[in-house]
Amino acid sequence: MNEYVGWAFKIAGVILFLLLPPYLDGIARRVKARLQYRRGPPLSQTWYDLKKLFAIPSVIPTKSAVFRIAPYLALASAITAALLLPYGGYVPINYGYNLIVFFYVIVMVSVFIMLGGFSVQSAFSHLGSAREMQLLLTVEPILAVVYGVLAYNAGSLNIATIFNNLHLTPSLILAIIILAYALYVESGFVPFDIAEAEQEVIGGPLSEYSGRLLGVFYYAIYIKRFALLWFFVSLITYPVMRPINDVITSVGLFIVQILLTIAFYPIIAALEATNARLRIDHVVKVNVKIFFIGLGILAMAFMGW
Amino acid sequence: MVTTKDLEAHFEFECKACENGRCAKADVETILSEREGLKEFYEAFKEHIRECKRMTYGQYMFVIDREVLPDAVLWWHNHPEFKETHMSTAVGTDERPLNGHFVYMPFLSVQVEHRNMDRNYWVFLKAYLPADDPSFPSVAAKLPAALWIEREVKDLLGFNPVGHPDPRRLILPEDWPDGVYPLRKDMDYRHSPITEPKTEYRPTPEGTSLVPLGPVHMGVEEPAHFRLFVKGETIVDVDYRGFYSHRGIEKTGEGRLTYNQVLFLAERICGICGYQHSVSYAMAVERLADVEIPDRARYIRTLMLELERIHNHLLWVGIAAHMVGFDTGFMHAWRIREPVMWLVERLTGNRKQYGMNIVGGVRRDILDYRKEEILKVVKEIREGTKKFLDIALNTNTFIKRAEGVGILPYKVAKAYSVLGPTARASGRRIDARLDQATKTAMAYNEVDFKVPVYKEGDVLARVLVRMDELFESLWIVEQLIDQMPGGDIMVPIGDLPEYEEALGFTEAHRGEVVHYVMTGEKNKVYRWKVRAPTYNNLPAIPEMLRGYHVADAPLIIASIDPCYSCTERVQFVDVETGKVKVLTEAEFNELSIKYKGVF
Amino acid sequence: MAEAVSYTEKLKKWDRFEAEKFSKKAPVTTPYPFIDIEKPPEYRGIPHINPEKCIGCGACVNACPPDALIMEWDKEHGIKRLTYNAARCIRCARCIEVCPTGAMEPTTRFEIATDNKEDLVEVVEHKLAYCEECGEYLDFTERQIEYVKAILPKEIFEMYALDERIGLTQEAKMRKTVEKLRETEGIPVSAFMLVGEVKDKKGGEK
Repeated sequence: MNEYVGWAFKIAGVILFLLLPPYLDGIARRVKARLQYRRGPPLSQTWYDLKKLFAIPSVIPTKSAVFRIAPYLALASAITAALLLPYGGYVPINYGYNLIVFFYVIVMVSVFIMLGGFSVQSAFSHLGSAREMQLLLTVEPILAVVYGVLAYNAGSLNIATIFNNLHLTPSLILAIIILAYALYVESGFVPFDIAEAEQEVIGGPLSEYSGRLLGVFYYAIYIKRFALLWFFVSLITYPVMRPINDVITSVGLFIVQILLTIAFYPIIAALEATNARLRIDHVVKVNVKIFFIGLGILAMAFMGW
Repeated sequence: MVTTKDLEAHFEFECKACENGRCAKADVETILSEREGLKEFYEAFKEHIRECKRMTYGQYMFVIDREVLPDAVLWWHNHPEFKETHMSTAVGTDERPLNGHFVYMPFLSVQVEHRNMDRNYWVFLKAYLPADDPSFPSVAAKLPAALWIEREVKDLLGFNPVGHPDPRRLILPEDWPDGVYPLRKDMDYRHSPITEPKTEYRPTPEGTSLVPLGPVHMGVEEPAHFRLFVKGETIVDVDYRGFYSHRGIEKTGEGRLTYNQVLFLAERICGICGYQHSVSYAMAVERLADVEIPDRARYIRTLMLELERIHNHLLWVGIAAHMVGFDTGFMHAWRIREPVMWLVERLTGNRKQYGMNIVGGVRRDILDYRKEEILKVVKEIREGTKKFLDIALNTNTFIKRAEGVGILPYKVAKAYSVLGPTARASGRRIDARLDQATKTAMAYNEVDFKVPVYKEGDVLARVLVRMDELFESLWIVEQLIDQMPGGDIMVPIGDLPEYEEALGFTEAHRGEVVHYVMTGEKNKVYRWKVRAPTYNNLPAIPEMLRGYHVADAPLIIASIDPCYSCTERVQFVDVETGKVKVLTEAEFNELSIKYKGVF
Repeated sequence: MAEAVSYTEKLKKWDRFEAEKFSKKAPVTTPYPFIDIEKPPEYRGIPHINPEKCIGCGACVNACPPDALIMEWDKEHGIKRLTYNAARCIRCARCIEVCPTGAMEPTTRFEIATDNKEDLVEVVEHKLAYCEECGEYLDFTERQIEYVKAILPKEIFEMYALDERIGLTQEAKMRKTVEKLRETEGIPVSAFMLVGEVKDKKGGEK
């Protein structure tokens, strides 16, 4: 019986992360529109956009195979990352050290975007990819440190185990705050959409992409954003809703996870709408600072605070 | 180079203005004593001055030998007392049908005293060039303000600026054949020859890579091609190729239209500052016809000009916000702007391209019930803008992007003759509304307002200058409504005198707009030269970009409020329908591989 | 056509800045192509030629800056064609100002997007007046002649004998004048007498 319930949750999770992310983007667009006194598009507009993109053939400006494959690999990475997260307490792919795999797979989405950008001869692609790389190289250490705090706090490298075994310390709270920042940067929302800044580098690494391949990239990015947000949401819901040991608590957890994810998106949209884009050197400076703060928190965690 | 003296041609020209009593050729002393500085100049260049005359109120012309052109221009430009004197632009004319010579005529706006329109004046330095050798020593070698105009006359009229540092093609397209000069009178305005294209881009400097900002780029609203040479993300140097929207309006205006038709075409030069062009042109023709337009018409014109400035500045601040990804600022600025557009629609009959002017006055009156609406809108705009500025200037990320970026030092601004808010943000105290005699066409002399000047010279200063100006404009509008006199709104204009010249000018939102009109026979225009402010501001862009990030480039470019269609005004293209070939997907991909990095 | 209010009344009534419209906050955007956009009565849209009133004088063609109005003569078929092309029109409304009969009517229409270029073109064809004497068409339309007859004072008509001469081509007129010149040879007459009634003199001579 329990096995079937688990499968039901896993399938529900898969359907969720495949269908929900574009709607979340739709929410963000709607909220932004309202902040700008506009009407805004319908919630499923992002789906319509994707549908249209999927139907259009792409222009291939290079003979390099990387250009064609990168979007699919990015999508695969994003889906893998989403599969590693718990949905109502059940993780579709669950094994020992999957926090490291999650960390790695999320990076891979950006890496494939970068590779796609570098595979073509275009100044904007290269500039954008270079920016993406700088962002990645400065954000990932922060994430690594925070993951370190989490793993040390819970004594495990398994995502589900970590969530189940976290105990409240000052270092954990600080780590969650930094994590929120790092995930926001990693997701590439304004003011951190530097790599894809359309007014400056016309879409950056995506500038040479069109049609289906672009659609796949967008889909991958939406799923990646969803995965990062879901990770964060799980991190704050699990310790509150523990213990999760029967169907009812699982359902409750799942619903709270979904609602919180949806609730976070308008906040993100509001942040996006009220900020201008930063420059890469600004972000690098801030990220380096935060990395050292993160090291301090790690030290705190080791000391048991 | 043949010197002008050898030709002895000047002495035969008869001064047509004498007959009208406007030119006091016989009484040079009177003319020279009318304004400060003229005599000094006359003494300094005595042996090279062939003729001097007053074209119209506050506009003086010296016919000088071509070999002293650079010295004469620099004499004015570097005048120790008249600090804000700048070379406005130059006019090249094909006067071969009249006297067998080409004319090259730089002119300067001489500022004796800021905000005193009766002491300042324009100086035209006219040089006749022989038809077989239209060359003159380049001013641009010493003064960057002349860089573009000399390339322009080289393109359009085939003049040869000897010693020009960068004699590449500026205006004509790459596939235009050499030796065909569109503005020469022997070329029909429908003629459009085309050859193989050849590009003249500057080579990429050693150790840098190329970022092509354009010809079509999101950060540049209109077609313009900035070639940024970058090291990493830092801009080392910039090459500019523009004039993709060159339409040959000047040639059309000279070809077949009457002076009143040109007026409506002048308004279509630009979608944003159309009325400024319209008023400038009307002012030039009214000066030529020697009429005084009714006070009410002057007030209505001023009112429309200021309303245009208000909507433009709001539009601009929106664009600036958009350039740094601050879309909320963009949307709100445009929302606040919208009532102005509605208002103007009611006043004139259209949101833009008012069609309000006619030579000699205006076409529609401001009725009383509309006055109330103007005041209502002014109030609304003031509140809205205050709120908007409160939010925008408190957005840290926006300030972070705008502060200390794109700095244009005063000296560079002066050397390039940068105009308008861009110049005022760099500390130049200029404003053609009060500096030059606008009182014949506008009523700025009868209202009170400040001219905000900032010294920082960065993008933020340009934002602040424009916002201060916006509030001043609102205040001007209120005063105008208050003081609006009654009476007629237009006077009829008779025939225009033949072959006379005058200048019309306004301070547009981007700087001074200059329309030079030379009349021809039968009420047609012999030469019509339009100089939009962006024409002077754009050459200074490389100076602003150097040393900053690629990310800053769109904002810096936007910060001068560039208007490419104004600048590039000037080709009627007969579209020769070639065969349309539909590319297959594979062919398209082939092409995109072939032209990688070429653009 | 049940518009009882005069134009000026309409102008005063029309108010886009009504309190509830103006102070309405979000959203300010409208689903534009699906709703009719409000235009003030002063709005200057594309003009429309009223073929009933148009006399084909071509005043509008002379005033039009961008050549949106074109005049063509088809002497073979006796047709004068006035073509208005909305795609070239810059909506300056100069044609409306100069039209002597009010045939150029202002509208508040501004949406001219179409998938058929011919929708943008308005053509008015006029019959050219026919000269009985030489069997050719005149440069003027029949309506132009009617209009001139209607507005010119009678005295001028009589003085220049326009009733007879107005429907003639330039050559026929010249021929007639020359004929009359011959008739009056040797007699000093003023210029208008040449074209006018010289019956009396002729009679006197006889």
